[in-house]
Amino acid sequence: MFDASLIPGLLPVFGVAALRTLALLLAALLGGFVLGFALNAMRQSARKPLLALYWSYVGLMRGLPFLILLFITYYGLPSLGLSLSPFWAAAAALAVYSGAYFAEILRACWQAIPPGQVEAARVMGMSSVQVFWHIQAPQALRLSLPLLANQTVLLLKDCALASVITYPELSMTAGKVVSEQFIYMEPYLLLALSYLAMALAIDALGRRLAKTFRLQGATR
Amino acid sequence: MNADTRTATVAPVVTPMISLRQVGKRFGSNQVLQGIDLDVHSGEVVTLIGPSGSGKTTLLRCMNFLEAYDEGEVRIRGALLGYREGAAAGKPRVRESERGIAEVRAPLAMVFQQFNLWPHMSVLGNVMAPLTLVHGLAPQAARDQALQALHRVGMEAKADAMPAQLSGGQQQRAGIARALAVNPLVMLLDEPTSALDPELVEEVLEVIQSLSRQGMTMVMVTHEMSFAAEVSSRIVFMEKGRLVAVGTPDEIVRRPSHPRIQAFLQPWIRRSLGSTSLQVCA
Repeated sequence: MFDASLIPGLLPVFGVAALRTLALLLAALLGGFVLGFALNAMRQSARKPLLALYWSYVGLMRGLPFLILLFITYYGLPSLGLSLSPFWAAAAALAVYSGAYFAEILRACWQAIPPGQVEAARVMGMSSVQVFWHIQAPQALRLSLPLLANQTVLLLKDCALASVITYPELSMTAGKVVSEQFIYMEPYLLLALSYLAMALAIDALGRRLAKTFRLQGATR
Repeated sequence: MNADTRTATVAPVVTPMISLRQVGKRFGSNQVLQGIDLDVHSGEVVTLIGPSGSGKTTLLRCMNFLEAYDEGEVRIRGALLGYREGAAAGKPRVRESERGIAEVRAPLAMVFQQFNLWPHMSVLGNVMAPLTLVHGLAPQAARDQALQALHRVGMEAKADAMPAQLSGGQQQRAGIARALAVNPLVMLLDEPTSALDPELVEEVLEVIQSLSRQGMTMVMVTHEMSFAAEVSSRIVFMEKGRLVAVGTPDEIVRRPSHPRIQAFLQPWIRRSLGSTSLQVCA
């Protein structure tokens, strides 16, 4: 029987767990975005070895199930002398994994800048580094905001997998409540609502940022 | 200004601003330019005309290496553009570095059919960016120089507008100001009015005309025949990647003797009959 009166008692535990999920998300997002940005910069340089490195990385990460990467990071790396806490192992694995997806988003947005603008810059004497930072980045990053928000929502849900390496975030907390109190619907419903609330907040933030940075006079 | 009298009266060795020798270009198996010889001297306005697909725009883009030519040589004030000097015969030429290409093409500025303004910068920002980023000017000096260039095209009142807030004609004038601000020795104009609504063409043509009166060296691709006849020192007629004829506006546009050019100009002549004195087929 669903008993809504149980929910207030669960809130403190879930609140702490939600903060842990959020902390993991932020660490993974920061790492993944920086990595994706660096990968995209390599891609834009159009130097052959860097291009090869880009496509190998993206191909590998997209072809690899995330759980395997997570297990290697948490259980495998200690055999190479690198032991990470569940939090840092999950954050590192998520960053390394999502970096490939962030890179592809940024690549697409960089390619959306009309080539004529780049030609104009080159003819005026700008170097490719100046074109990247002064012509492409300000526009491409604006374009990427809704896509980045979307990828962040996916990342949020991937954070749930950190439960399998015992990081006590939302999903693990819900499972713990279930196994200790033998109630199902209440914790899982609360779990679903927590993710939903965070996902909606990320979406709203993305839209807000896109609006704030929208180009004056742009029709888009 | 006439190039022939110039070369005759000045020293015999006047280095042309742009010199093309046997320039050829292929896109795959499609030979789009072949055996192009052309010199552009200081103060000249050279206009490229011809049917669509004749290679006019490609030729213009080869002059600043936005397109890499495959054969022959393009020299800017004597310096080989795009490739290292002194390639051994029979060996493939070595592509010049990014920086080397930028150095050789530095005297050239370009105006594009689609304006190609940077939409995230104001008009002033567009004109200033090359000055601060490439020419190392301090912001205040760059600002002054940019405003001066905007003044020359009548756009200083729109300095703070974003490109998307401007009409096409205003955008193109901003594009011309951006090209002017770096004090180029030659301006390349690629169909500067083709993307404009008819009522906006005139304001841009006026700006180009005033530049020609100030002695700016220009190479222009255009379909505005009357304008070409008015401002050009020489007109080049191209077809199928070759130069068919080079001559004065009188020789090429007003009284063409070449049957192919007559056929090409026929629709324009018919439209402008009565307004100008043209006796081509009379």
